[in-house]
Amino acid sequence: MKKYNYIVIGGSAGSFQSVTKILESLPVGYPLPIFMTLHRLKHVRTGFVEALALKSKIKVEEPKDKDSFFPGKAYLAPANYHLCIEPGNNFSLSSDEAVNHSRPAIDLTFSSAAYVLKDKIIGIILSGANKDGAEGLKMIEQNGGLAVVQSPEECQVKTMTEAAIKATVNPEILNLDQIIELLLKQV
Amino acid sequence: MPTNEDIIRFHETVKKVSEYDFSEYSEKSFARRIEKILVDYLLNMEELLEKIAEDRKFLEQIVKDITVNTTELFRDPKVWQTLKHRILPKLKENEFVNIWHAGCSTGQEVYSMLILLNELDMLHKARLYASDINEDVMDKAKAGEYVYRFNIEYIENFKQVIQVNPFNFEEYNSTAFTKYFDVNKINDTMEIKPFLKNIVTYKKHDLVKDNNIFNVKFDIILCRNVLIYFNSNLQNRVFSLFSEALERKGTLILGAHESILGHESANFIKYGHYYIKK
Repeated sequence: MKKYNYIVIGGSAGSFQSVTKILESLPVGYPLPIFMTLHRLKHVRTGFVEALALKSKIKVEEPKDKDSFFPGKAYLAPANYHLCIEPGNNFSLSSDEAVNHSRPAIDLTFSSAAYVLKDKIIGIILSGANKDGAEGLKMIEQNGGLAVVQSPEECQVKTMTEAAIKATVNPEILNLDQIIELLLKQV
Repeated sequence: MPTNEDIIRFHETVKKVSEYDFSEYSEKSFARRIEKILVDYLLNMEELLEKIAEDRKFLEQIVKDITVNTTELFRDPKVWQTLKHRILPKLKENEFVNIWHAGCSTGQEVYSMLILLNELDMLHKARLYASDINEDVMDKAKAGEYVYRFNIEYIENFKQVIQVNPFNFEEYNSTAFTKYFDVNKINDTMEIKPFLKNIVTYKKHDLVKDNNIFNVKFDIILCRNVLIYFNSNLQNRVFSLFSEALERKGTLILGAHESILGHESANFIKYGHYYIKK
């Protein structure tokens, strides 16, 4: 089985509990860096990273512009900034226009990750209420990465996962436990 | 998405026909700006390059389209609370207080600063300078008029900064938003009151190549969410420009998710939301 080196997760309405569960299921020292772009209310700018970190065994942080990323850490796109992966294993932030009515936009994180990290990446789309992420997941697939979509039946809001399934050719449609199992197998 | 080669050709063309240089802008976001321009103007890459080379006015327009102009009144209220209660009070005994808003865009932060200075009774000694690469946004800054409903969070930010004191919860200031803005709900506008207009010196400035054009040393420089569009090399150039332009112990305020990396960090000490020049 092919193994991957990076994980990128996108989600919106109804994804918070899934993300929390993923983070608490991964062991201390889990080596793959995880990039997370989750929509949230524009006004809720603080407290989100703390809420995710509460149960996570992996360190969770909001990166600053041009920060490098490292194994064993999870990174959350800060409120009101797009998060992109740049060549040279670092991040860039931008406050460009919203994409798909979203800032951060999952499409931007996913497509930049696909461009830079090519076939080394697993992209995961979780529950959500708009189609953001579908284009990005398609680019991950086209660049040789693995496209994973949470099973729509399991999602509180199906729009995002259904759009992602439609945009991709051969996505792995998995329920949350299978997603966690897949991530654990990468080590 | 334009290819790497496309972007390189774009940079070369711009450098050849003008004094602008975008080659040290952050790669990903720059490519996206170009992509958006191609869509907005219904051009392909060849046509874009041709038009830039031939038509100076068009190039100026593209320069304006490339730069990002997102800003807010009292964006990140904690930063403004710190300015109000920690940074500005220390300058109260100065004869003048010189402040530079580098990359001021449409001026919301310039007015945030003027409001704070007025609240602290320091307006008469303040000298504000503001710059941007885009003169159109500076015209908007001078006009001081913003859309109301879309920006309703300005009022929330205002309350957090002006009405409450996070360093002393017993303090409450009932100053209303309308002390500083005329709100017109029918036209959906809010306009800064005349007494805060025409105070600021605005000048066109390109952080890529220009030096301190104001011929003063600054007590405070604000440059928020501008440097995220530059690569590390260009960021270093700008930090050294700011270091030169600041008074000793002067304050540099960056965006909430920006920081000084690289060798220039040796010239500054970081305190939470801001940097002090050594």
